[in-house]
Amino acid sequence: MKTLRKILLVVERDLRMFLQYKFLIILRAIWFVAQIAFFGLIASRMVVPDLADIYFEYYIAGVVIMMLYSASVFIGYDIFEEAEHGVFEYLLSLPVSRRELVFGRSIGGGIRSFIFVGPLIAVSLFVIGLANPLNFLIAFAALFLFAFGVSGMSITIAVGLKSSDRFDILMGALNAFIIRLSTTMYPQAFIQEASPAYAALTNFNPVTFASDLFRWGVGIERYLTLDPMPVAAIVGLVVFFSAFTFIGVTFYERRLEGGGWK
Amino acid sequence: MKAILHIVEHDFRNFFRYKWWLAGLISMNLADLFIMALVYNQMVHPDIAKEIISYFSFFAPGVTVIGLFASAYMIGREINMEVRREIHHYMLSLPITRLELAIGRLLAGGLRGMMYMSPLLLTTFLFLGFPSLSQLLAILGALFLLATGIAGLSIATAVSTKSLEKFVTARGLVYYVLFFCSSIFYPLSLIRTLGQEGIMPQPIVTLAELNPLSSGTDLIRSFLMGNPPFSFDMIRNLVVFSVIFATTAMFAYMKLLER
Repeated sequence: MKTLRKILLVVERDLRMFLQYKFLIILRAIWFVAQIAFFGLIASRMVVPDLADIYFEYYIAGVVIMMLYSASVFIGYDIFEEAEHGVFEYLLSLPVSRRELVFGRSIGGGIRSFIFVGPLIAVSLFVIGLANPLNFLIAFAALFLFAFGVSGMSITIAVGLKSSDRFDILMGALNAFIIRLSTTMYPQAFIQEASPAYAALTNFNPVTFASDLFRWGVGIERYLTLDPMPVAAIVGLVVFFSAFTFIGVTFYERRLEGGGWK
Repeated sequence: MKAILHIVEHDFRNFFRYKWWLAGLISMNLADLFIMALVYNQMVHPDIAKEIISYFSFFAPGVTVIGLFASAYMIGREINMEVRREIHHYMLSLPITRLELAIGRLLAGGLRGMMYMSPLLLTTFLFLGFPSLSQLLAILGALFLLATGIAGLSIATAVSTKSLEKFVTARGLVYYVLFFCSSIFYPLSLIRTLGQEGIMPQPIVTLAELNPLSSGTDLIRSFLMGNPPFSFDMIRNLVVFSVIFATTAMFAYMKLLER
């Protein structure tokens, strides 16, 4: 019980910190609007007839997952900022164990990305509609695993690298490839036609699991990659979440010892 | 002239300090071209495919202009940092006039954009074919005008605020509006059709037509793909954009130095 309370305190701190980034939130909101009002709308008129009738909704669902991914990654930047400003030492002096600290940060990173993406999910539901509320609730709950997993991945990479420049570039490159080699922007059938190698990679991409799950949840069931749904996507997300949360916790704990982050 | 070259050299040296940032930008541009564009090749409507050959061919000039925009815009970030840290006071102590400083910064911003863009333009030529010498000169001239205008826009934004956050937000707004409301990702004819159908508001269609990124991208396409056909309106849009923002940036930067 005491442990849970400490984790919640760490989560609360990360949530408060996130609300300070109001310009980042505005910027991301502008990006979301530009993506759907320009790219989504125009590209839906550019695609083959088989896809044209659902592409706008398909794309909006993908953009929501891209937002969730990029908001969850942000915790890694916070960690670098803290290391640079000497806040790490302060955090270590608190009566919170390293494990509680890292676990709390991973959870906090995931929750705050949901707070950020929540209004955007509401907008997307308004545009797409909701075929089956129960499916949506299942997908919504499972997407928390995705957000926690991405935060854990970001923490693992941030702690593993000592240079903020390297972290910046690695996250930028990872973002470029992980999003494009997933089904956020296009169905897997077309990726397969373009390159079987790319298609094979999308099958193991957590962003594909999240995109498919969200589309299944809102009722866009044509062009789903994984089968059977939603079990395949949820299993994929559980594996991703477990791997990165626990690797992240272990790695972060070890790095914290003896000023290993410096 | 020598003083301006010193400033250009100074900014080029700074540019190479951002090697990690540049590597990230390159990876994003290449991922866009060799993953996203290849997949969209399979998705494009056959009627539109007739017009654009293939999405990959269509998008390659677009990626070139995206790279040019992002790298030319970087000068604003440096100048904003100098404004915040008041490094421009040091600049004033140099035996260089304010006008030379302003021209040097603007030119450096544009030339850095050209340098970063060169491998992307070469990649475009490798896939779409090489232009004639006169066409190549026209492309380089047009892209230099575009790069200078972008550097000007960036400097004008950078000196108007001391806050990095406000600068970054303004940059994001400019990026998204100019990128998505242009012919970088889709043909201008498609945006016009949506305008005629009342789906896209007319001011947005006009913005896409006058957008210098549309003009720069379509100019490359007109020489390498033959579609859209070359029009002097493309040159006019680039000249107007470049003159307006280069002049604004120079005056704004000189005003900042006099503060």
